[in-house]
Amino acid sequence: MFEVKNLTKVYNDGTVALRNISFPVEEGEFLVIIGLSGSGKSTLLRCINRLIDPTEGSIVWDGVEITSVDPKLLREIRRQIGMIFQHFNLVKRSNVLTNVLAGRLGYVNPVSSLFYRFPEKDRNLAMNALERVGIADQAFKRADELSGGQQQRVGIARALMQHPRMILADEPVASLDPVLAHSILGYLEKLNQEDGITVICSLHYLDLVQRYASKVIGLREGRIVYRGSREEIRRMTDEEFKNIYGQEAIRVSAGKRERDG
Amino acid sequence: MSEMNGFDRKQKQRAVSGPVAGAASLVIPGLGQIVAGQLRRGVLMFGAIVSFFVLFLWRIHLLAHREEGITAQFVKAFQRRPFFVGILTAGIVLLWLWNAWDAFSRVQFKKKRGNAIFIVVILIFFILGWQISQIDLYKMITEFPDAVPPLSKVLWPWKAAVEREKEKISAGADILIGCDETPPPPPEEMPGKPYVKVDPRCGTLSKLDEDNEIVEGTTITIYGRSFLPNSEARIWWIDSLGNEFRPRQEGEYAMVMTDSKGSFTYKLVMPYRLVPPSAKGPQIHRVEARQVISLGDLVIADPLRLTLARMAETIFMGMMATFFGIVFAIPVSFLAARNLMSGSWATMAVYYITRTILNIVRSIEPLIWALVAVVWVGLGPFAGIIALTLHSIAALGKLYSEAIENIDPGPIEAIQATGATRLQTIMYAVVPQMIPPFVSFSIYRGDINVRMSTIIGLVGGGGIGFLLVQYIRLLDYRAAGIAVWFIALTVAILDYVSAEIRRRFV
Repeated sequence: MFEVKNLTKVYNDGTVALRNISFPVEEGEFLVIIGLSGSGKSTLLRCINRLIDPTEGSIVWDGVEITSVDPKLLREIRRQIGMIFQHFNLVKRSNVLTNVLAGRLGYVNPVSSLFYRFPEKDRNLAMNALERVGIADQAFKRADELSGGQQQRVGIARALMQHPRMILADEPVASLDPVLAHSILGYLEKLNQEDGITVICSLHYLDLVQRYASKVIGLREGRIVYRGSREEIRRMTDEEFKNIYGQEAIRVSAGKRERDG
Repeated sequence: MSEMNGFDRKQKQRAVSGPVAGAASLVIPGLGQIVAGQLRRGVLMFGAIVSFFVLFLWRIHLLAHREEGITAQFVKAFQRRPFFVGILTAGIVLLWLWNAWDAFSRVQFKKKRGNAIFIVVILIFFILGWQISQIDLYKMITEFPDAVPPLSKVLWPWKAAVEREKEKISAGADILIGCDETPPPPPEEMPGKPYVKVDPRCGTLSKLDEDNEIVEGTTITIYGRSFLPNSEARIWWIDSLGNEFRPRQEGEYAMVMTDSKGSFTYKLVMPYRLVPPSAKGPQIHRVEARQVISLGDLVIADPLRLTLARMAETIFMGMMATFFGIVFAIPVSFLAARNLMSGSWATMAVYYITRTILNIVRSIEPLIWALVAVVWVGLGPFAGIIALTLHSIAALGKLYSEAIENIDPGPIEAIQATGATRLQTIMYAVVPQMIPPFVSFSIYRGDINVRMSTIIGLVGGGGIGFLLVQYIRLLDYRAAGIAVWFIALTVAILDYVSAEIRRRFV
């Protein structure tokens, strides 16, 4: 059981990114967060694994208060939460295999890993992860030699190496074209359904949301303005959509160029 | 701009009339423009004319500093450099008048344009600059022929690179001073070996009489055999104490050419030599004929040998300075990286202090640091290494810190999210991003350091520059040329190699 309660984040410059946000996440859910750029989606995701420290509120996972754990326990929590990013955030100069192995850093011996030494078992695991996302043949290329879709798959493989119970995906397909978007989200759906990994994902395109989400939260200026189940999101009206995305928003499908983010 | 002019016009109409502005500028350059409301133009005009005037007076004084009074100096200076003094006087007067006209016409006719006057200003500055920096194209051309021989030696110095081993051939015979005792026997003749005998085998040295006139001593005949044919042999005299010198005959050093069989006959007046009063017993002097010939094997001559040795020293100086520079610059660069130091005001203070020190150290040339280091550790390569290291730390510290500031925070976030420790995050997300710029900057710096270490010797910092400046002062242009060639070669090779490495690595 994972629950966010009264979460607020105020940045040092005074920007209020999140205002009193609360929501529960069931085990095995595919939760999609929608909202304009700057509505607080990325901040919310980063508060969950404390890449950003929230200002107020609590995040409880299986009875553990994430917002106040000590660094050692925080690392143990983080390694159970895989994360993928809009810009993939791979180490461009390292090869694909090393990037994937980096997902194992929370588990391996901290000293020998400093010299890029990993147990044989982990190397096999990495190759399996790459096979699972279909790019095992690219394992020894430099990460920046891969196409965008391939790089995001490396990102997924890296998250898989953590044996995560939860995956946070921060606009994972915003830098990719629509065909690749379905392919990447397809992998996430597979992990969600086959491995039972909880997915919290921020998305822009409504038809992608309708296709993949089991639950939706709409953010606007740091507040939750919409909550909907799988069925409700499929019946989403233009009125509700405009409420989240502002009056000028029009419905766009993943096949077309979006307006206003 | 048009708004400004509109503003100006209103001001002018209220302030002064045209003739008043013109007259004001005639008294004090620029004053008219200022009272007419054109402050910047007026100040510029005033500054230009006053600085011309001061510079002009200074040059006049230099040209005629012996004369009393400004008028006399001016006349004298005009006589010495009529063109320069004439054109400048005309220019300044013209400018002064023009400045008055400018003030007048700007007010009177509300003229907007007229920046041509500043072209005259620039022209006068140029003429002054030409004279002050002593440019002399005429001298440059007429003295070119004199420069050709040394220049050609520098351009093609390889004659001095190798030489033949010198062989010394010599033979001598003893002579008794005063014929009171039995003279020493003539030396034994060995077939094939050079041989010298004298006749007579005793005699008196030249002396000085009471009037300090030379009284010539005995004339001896020297017979030589088995020397090198058709080449010169020098006559040496060795006194009873073992002092060697070359006696002179009618002002010239005693010298003889051997005939085709290697024999010679030479008449020598026994030279003037003070016999020490303490000397007792028979005084035996010796006369020798010596030949020095370059017939041996080809060997590397001193200039080339020294150049090679110093070049190696130079390269290693650059290498060591780069090494120490890198070692010290890495920690410093962390203190000078804004993104790492923006935590609190204390770290920001460290950041600003580090940056300031780096900027100061970097703005002082390595040659000047070398002067300081020479005072500190004395002449030699170590002083050069200190100078280059200091400069490298400052330069690399800045470049490295900028590389740190430019790293992509994305991978750091991603690695942190996997549950990695701080060290792991640095090793996996920061280091891979920093290696390419670090390597690139370090190689670039190494390149600069070797180049700098070739000239740091000019101020005593060791390396090839030290040798080069000595050769130039000794007017040994061939040797200097060899050093110059090696500097050019090394720098060119290094340039290419470093560019190639950086291209491949990054």
